[in-house]
Amino acid sequence: MKLMIVDDSNIMRRRIERSQQFEELELVGTAGNGVEAIELFKRTDPDVVTMDLTMPRMDGIECISLLVALKPEVRILVVSALADKATAVEAMEKGANGFLNKPFTDRQLNEAIAELMR
Amino acid sequence: MLLSGTDRRRQLITAGVGTVLTLVMGLVLFVGFRIATEMRANIAALQTASTLQTYPDDITRQLASLRDRLEARAYSGQALEDLRGTVRRFDRQLKELNATGYVHSQELTRALQLWQEYGPVIEPVVSFNGQPYVDSDTAGSTLSRDGRTHYAEVKRAQLFATDNSRTLQVQLATLATSLQRDASGAAARLRTLLSIGVLAALVLAAAAVWFQFTRARHERAAREAQDQTRDILMTVREGFFLLDAEYRIGSVWSDALTHMFGRKDFAGLTFEELLKNLVPASTLATATKYIKLLWGERAHENLMKSINPLGQLEITMDNGHGGKETRYLQFDFHRVMGPAGIKQVLCAVGDITSSVLLARELQESQDNANAQLDMMLAMMHVDPLQLVSFLDGAETGLKLVNTILKEPARTDAEFRKKLSGLFRELHSIKGEASALSLSSIASRVHTLEDIVSELKKKAELSGNDFLPMVLKLDELLAHLRSVREMAGRLTALKEGAHAAPAAALAAVPAPAPVQPAAARAPQQFARRAEDLVPTLHALAERLAQDQGKRFKLKLAGLGDVPAHYVGTVKDCLIQMLRNSAVHGIESPEIRQALTKQDVGVVSVAFQKAADGFELVFEDDGAGIAPDTLKAAAVRRQLVSEDEAAAMDTRTAMALIFRPGFSTQDGISMDAGRGVGMDVVARSVYALGGKIGVSTHPGRYTRFKISLPAGAASSAVA
Repeated sequence: MKLMIVDDSNIMRRRIERSQQFEELELVGTAGNGVEAIELFKRTDPDVVTMDLTMPRMDGIECISLLVALKPEVRILVVSALADKATAVEAMEKGANGFLNKPFTDRQLNEAIAELMR
Repeated sequence: MLLSGTDRRRQLITAGVGTVLTLVMGLVLFVGFRIATEMRANIAALQTASTLQTYPDDITRQLASLRDRLEARAYSGQALEDLRGTVRRFDRQLKELNATGYVHSQELTRALQLWQEYGPVIEPVVSFNGQPYVDSDTAGSTLSRDGRTHYAEVKRAQLFATDNSRTLQVQLATLATSLQRDASGAAARLRTLLSIGVLAALVLAAAAVWFQFTRARHERAAREAQDQTRDILMTVREGFFLLDAEYRIGSVWSDALTHMFGRKDFAGLTFEELLKNLVPASTLATATKYIKLLWGERAHENLMKSINPLGQLEITMDNGHGGKETRYLQFDFHRVMGPAGIKQVLCAVGDITSSVLLARELQESQDNANAQLDMMLAMMHVDPLQLVSFLDGAETGLKLVNTILKEPARTDAEFRKKLSGLFRELHSIKGEASALSLSSIASRVHTLEDIVSELKKKAELSGNDFLPMVLKLDELLAHLRSVREMAGRLTALKEGAHAAPAAALAAVPAPAPVQPAAARAPQQFARRAEDLVPTLHALAERLAQDQGKRFKLKLAGLGDVPAHYVGTVKDCLIQMLRNSAVHGIESPEIRQALTKQDVGVVSVAFQKAADGFELVFEDDGAGIAPDTLKAAAVRRQLVSEDEAAAMDTRTAMALIFRPGFSTQDGISMDAGRGVGMDVVARSVYALGGKIGVSTHPGRYTRFKISLPAGAASSAVA
């Protein structure tokens, strides 16, 4: 399965990349905003996406809508520090499969990805 | 109750066995009916065949009789009639036997064939209807011509019958035997069938009994399960209910729900109706969307718990005693899956009030610990005397706040006057605490200020509105006491640190008498005179802003204040500065009207004097009128009217140093507490100094404090 990481924080992108322990997940690329994410998605056709919500140019919610429109079976895990639950629920309504709060431990991340791939 | 797989299989087997046995019973009855019908036909045929066996002999015998009668010229009519009847019956019954269709034996066929052969010879006989005799007198009765023909036919028929009757009889006997065998066979089959039927009936009855027993057992188990479910729902502390696709609550829920929501009408209630008066509309809308996500296939249940908008819900309910209470509820949602997908959503509601309050207490405890640490660190940078002075002032101020709170008030105006007094006093304490970087005190006072601010916004005020302040005030006073205690420990710590090297150097081995640490602290540590300047400027700025006054503070020589006088000098200056800002300096409008400079001047000068030090404090304000002081002293019952009248100007001016004196009837933040100049005077006297005041109404007020050159003998109170 192919993995794409979307987060405007370079540190967070590297953190997710290093922490995930699934051999069957091949990282096809990372994006720092929604626009980059869409371009990368079209090029690499990932199966699993971790998605930040608050990002420049295009936020996560809009990006999720577009990704799901492009590939309905894509699995999206929102990884965000957002405190506003209404926005988090909106992200799920747009098609995200799950939500992981920042900050998170490696174990929490891997359990969430495992649940996502189930 | 849910049926297990084994139970379901057992029911299916029971139903299958019952169906098969019923079908077997039906088949047995049907076949039995067929066999019985066949048997009845066989028996009828057998009876007929048995009867028919006698007819050939009867016919032969009757033909012989007829012949005999014809030969004897006797009356033959009856014999012919008997023969005719026998032949007709035999013919009819034989044909009927054939017509039933039940008999298809060769014997019957042969019998029929043989009987057909009888026909040509016997038919002329039985169809004879002429007169066989001719009577004459001579010959008597003789055969007539027809009679002779008839006689010949009878004779021929008799011969034929004699030759064939035995054969016909054997055929009919064989037929009867065959029919009897068939009947016996049918009877045996019927017996077997009935046995099978009885057996099937027994098995069916046994199956019915077993089924009934099983059903009773299952019903009992179901009742027990229902009882257990009811017990669980009555006992469990969580509220459980199911939501259908239209977000309606099902017909079963746990009793805890009743206590949590104070209602019992849950069946059919929508989730929105359950919560609409308990949570904000926006939260409810988000919660509804959240539940909708659970009905969808896309969202992973385990990956959306962290965004549950009802994870910690604060609700206010009637406590059943006429009051209100706040509870914290936690809603948890789980999909209930069926063979066709999501059937329902299980909602579990937990009362987490204790956990939330405990977490808060822990947090508060942590905050307190942090605050104490901050306070310790802050106190290490504050002059102990200054700190003690602040604590005294703050405690006095808070006691005043308490007094204001206790003052009777009825009208809204009175309540608002209270609020104004409280706000100014609190704001003053907060400002001083902030100036000393005592953030834990400042933040607590700020909380009180917030309460006052909120009350100010209320349209109508009542005494109950002030109750929360009393609690917070007690907390603050307790905190001040702990700060004071900490200050004492800190001072002792510092003293210990300083005393150790001193003891090592001391030539006298005997230790010095131990004094209370707090009492010795002011003499042990150097004070920072340079801190006075910014503190006083900040205070002046605040006072000017609060009082709507404009004045300039001129400070001179404060850098020369000896360390052991810094605290006292500061306390004195703070108090005198307050007095000037409130009583002395006039408002700009008044100053203009009096043709004075818009901006007043407060000057402070510290300098060495011949026998020590001199601190001069002066403002160019309104001055003090002796008569005003006398009137205030009388109002406060510090002196009688007579005494006041007898006072000269010097004695009258000395009134301001008496405890409890204030010219301000109303309460204000910076004056009017009755704890002003008396504290200053006591501080000065304690150091062995003197204080004097001179004034000129409309022009100035000047305080002169003289302090001895040597160290003070005791700490300032």
